[in-house]
Amino acid sequence: MSVPGKTPFESPIWTTGKTDVYRTGTWRSAVPDYVNPPSPCHSACPVDGDIALWIRQAQEGDIHGAWLTLVDNNPFPAIAGRVCHHPCETACNRGGYDGAVAICALERFVGDRAIEAGWSLPAPSVERDQAIAVIGGGPSGLSAAYHLRRRGYAVTLYEAGLELGGLMRHGIPPYRLSREVLDSEIRRIIDLGIRVETGRPIRTPAELEALSGGFAAIYLAMGADAPKRLPSLDYGKPWVMEGAEYLVRANRNDPPPLGRRIVVIGGGSAAMDVARSARRFGREVIILSLEPEALLPCQREELIEAREEGIALHTGSMLQDVREKCDGVSLHCVRVDFQPGVRRGEFKINPIPDSGFTIEADAIVTAIGQDPARDLLEELLDRDGAFIRIDNRMRTSRNGVFAGGDLASMDRFVTHAIGMGKRAAAEIHAFLHPDAATEDRKRVNRYRSVPRTPDTRDLRTDVSLNAINLYYHDPATRTPQTETTPENRLGNFNETRATFTFGQAGAEAARCFSCGSCIFCDNCFNYCPDMAILKLEQGYAVKPDYCKGCGLCVRECPTGAIAMFEDRQ
Amino acid sequence: MAKTIEFHDEGLFHSGHAACPGCVEALAIRVIANRIGRNAVAVVPPSCSAVIVGPHPNSALDIPVYHTSLESSAASASGIRRALNASDRRDTEVIVLAGDGGTYDIGFQALSSAVERNEDILYFCFDNEGYMNTGGQKSSSTPWLAATGSTPRGKPSKKKNLVEILAAHGIPYVATATPGHLDDLGRKIDKAMTIDGMRMIIILIPCLDGWGLADDVGVTMARLAVECGIFPLYEVEQGRTYTLNRQSKTLPVGEYLKKQKRYRHLNEAQIGLIQAEVDEDWMRLLEKTGSRR
Repeated sequence: MSVPGKTPFESPIWTTGKTDVYRTGTWRSAVPDYVNPPSPCHSACPVDGDIALWIRQAQEGDIHGAWLTLVDNNPFPAIAGRVCHHPCETACNRGGYDGAVAICALERFVGDRAIEAGWSLPAPSVERDQAIAVIGGGPSGLSAAYHLRRRGYAVTLYEAGLELGGLMRHGIPPYRLSREVLDSEIRRIIDLGIRVETGRPIRTPAELEALSGGFAAIYLAMGADAPKRLPSLDYGKPWVMEGAEYLVRANRNDPPPLGRRIVVIGGGSAAMDVARSARRFGREVIILSLEPEALLPCQREELIEAREEGIALHTGSMLQDVREKCDGVSLHCVRVDFQPGVRRGEFKINPIPDSGFTIEADAIVTAIGQDPARDLLEELLDRDGAFIRIDNRMRTSRNGVFAGGDLASMDRFVTHAIGMGKRAAAEIHAFLHPDAATEDRKRVNRYRSVPRTPDTRDLRTDVSLNAINLYYHDPATRTPQTETTPENRLGNFNETRATFTFGQAGAEAARCFSCGSCIFCDNCFNYCPDMAILKLEQGYAVKPDYCKGCGLCVRECPTGAIAMFEDRQ
Repeated sequence: MAKTIEFHDEGLFHSGHAACPGCVEALAIRVIANRIGRNAVAVVPPSCSAVIVGPHPNSALDIPVYHTSLESSAASASGIRRALNASDRRDTEVIVLAGDGGTYDIGFQALSSAVERNEDILYFCFDNEGYMNTGGQKSSSTPWLAATGSTPRGKPSKKKNLVEILAAHGIPYVATATPGHLDDLGRKIDKAMTIDGMRMIIILIPCLDGWGLADDVGVTMARLAVECGIFPLYEVEQGRTYTLNRQSKTLPVGEYLKKQKRYRHLNEAQIGLIQAEVDEDWMRLLEKTGSRR
């Protein structure tokens, strides 16, 4: 459009001023603030994992960064990505839209990538003289040892058995958690410089006393290895076995010779593990559970896969008595009305009249839960029922002795145990260095303009689906993990689900709403009709002189990171 | 997340303007000012735009603004255009920032003749479907059955189809746009600036006060209007070549109507009638774009 010979355009001489002189911010009664409220997945996570952050890093292709964020809270991403009961996915806002993000499968992808690449865990930044004993080499003990070591303590880990891993090794079958993955993630922790003494059970007060002398603090995490028994069964009979024992032998590829037809009693993951292991050894398996199907404590996926593998279920049913016959046993059962109690593990049952039925079998395996062993340190520490009593700072009744995991809690999930180990490490650190405790507060998220600490303004309520502007998120179905067909699962203990490919992981990571995390999309800046948002190097700020408090920035935020507050100016 | 916009603010539209909180017309003016740049003159008739861009002695725009009378925006712009041409400033863009009252009704004669003369003007019509600046009376742009101050039981006649009227003039470029699709609006401004002659961009402005909306939903409502097909995003070049920018309508009109106070009196049967009309108009539009098989 330029015209030859024309004079260049010059600014006119202004006879008017600009409207900036009007402070229209005085109109408002509400003001937006970049609060970065917690995402529901983060709040639900047993290890307090910063899920929105590491998925965001994965979205950007920074898998190493995603892994570092993961291991800040949990040294076992590849394990948790396989066996976690994923309350994060239940809480995921995307579940109310087009299916929760497959967080667990993504975590497994990142975890496996780390093992493949041989990444090491971050070394301690300081070395401390104080020595700490961790007793029990299961998920909780290993997690505590890891977090204490990262804080620079000299950690000694005592394990009663010959191998580390606890329930992850002898309770979870290899088709759910490959031994290579388990060994890799444990080895990586030990490589941080943790002294390990295997074959060293600490069972008596004298042994604990002996340790107290040499250590500044002790963390007890021996787990719950005493199986609960059905009072109506005679465990002396050759056709009765405890699930834990069955799994230990099955996981050693040494299945107990119990006959062809096996009835597994229980409805949790352990019962599923027993049943599915037995199925892999070619047995005919029936599961008998008190809980109706909707209330089974196992994970949904386990139930589906168990059915696919040809396992029959009698849910909402109770064993009444067993009669021995020449060719096996007859189980007389009755259907029951099951009412869950207020606390986990509590329930009431009422047999339904005239609903009896009989199952013919060769053996019964019970997997109905485990308690901490009763003989442990009985006189030394206060108890709370079957558990060691701890307070909200994970302290036992004895000074300097902390406890966690299945020994002290009814939350029977691997990741709960890992989370308790993490908390115990923070509490032990605070106990030994009361002044340094603040360093354990939540880290500054690089996607957040302001660190989220108890001292800064924080919305305690999680981001809800209403706060997410769905216009910015096209529907996309959840990426399924590739599964082995049921026929190919039987007869071996190979993992039934495949790790995401790069393509699958990318597609799934892209589905994350990043609830509550600023992603620097500039929408708040671009959509403000009053130019009242200021771009900063790390985030944004509201210009109080001009913000009229309309809330358009909040509405157009794709992640719900901004919220409106009453303005009492 | 591809739907976030890339937008560089040159700062040509100033804070402190008098638009209502959350007004998306101010948002549209912000985008227009920054896209057009400093080498432009604006003609503004009485309207919300007049209030927004400036009560004397202060202006919200960094370009000269000529406040003209309600019926004569296009005529005033024609005069300024010719004066600029005579002083060898053909590259200075003359833009009009007018409302639907000053375009569909009162300024219509001047507009029609400016299009007929094919004056080199870029005309923006902020279509909030009524005289919203004076308390919300109906205009010829108010849609059928919408309640306004002067049609409390709903407007008995249809919304005037200005795009078709201008297309019938053979106007070089006419397009619809919304403040819910800022990337699309920006692209249309850029395109219009490469075309000589009369150009018109009609921007749907959901009026928070006049339509009965919350302060923060102007952008959302504009998107709903497009998604339910009641305000299709399209362009017409030389009055003949139609391009539909959003190829499908994905929502029933009820999703749009029920969120507005001006349609609160509608019953389901009336919503059904509006739906039938929107469907028919949509098919007719598809025929024109050649997308209908």
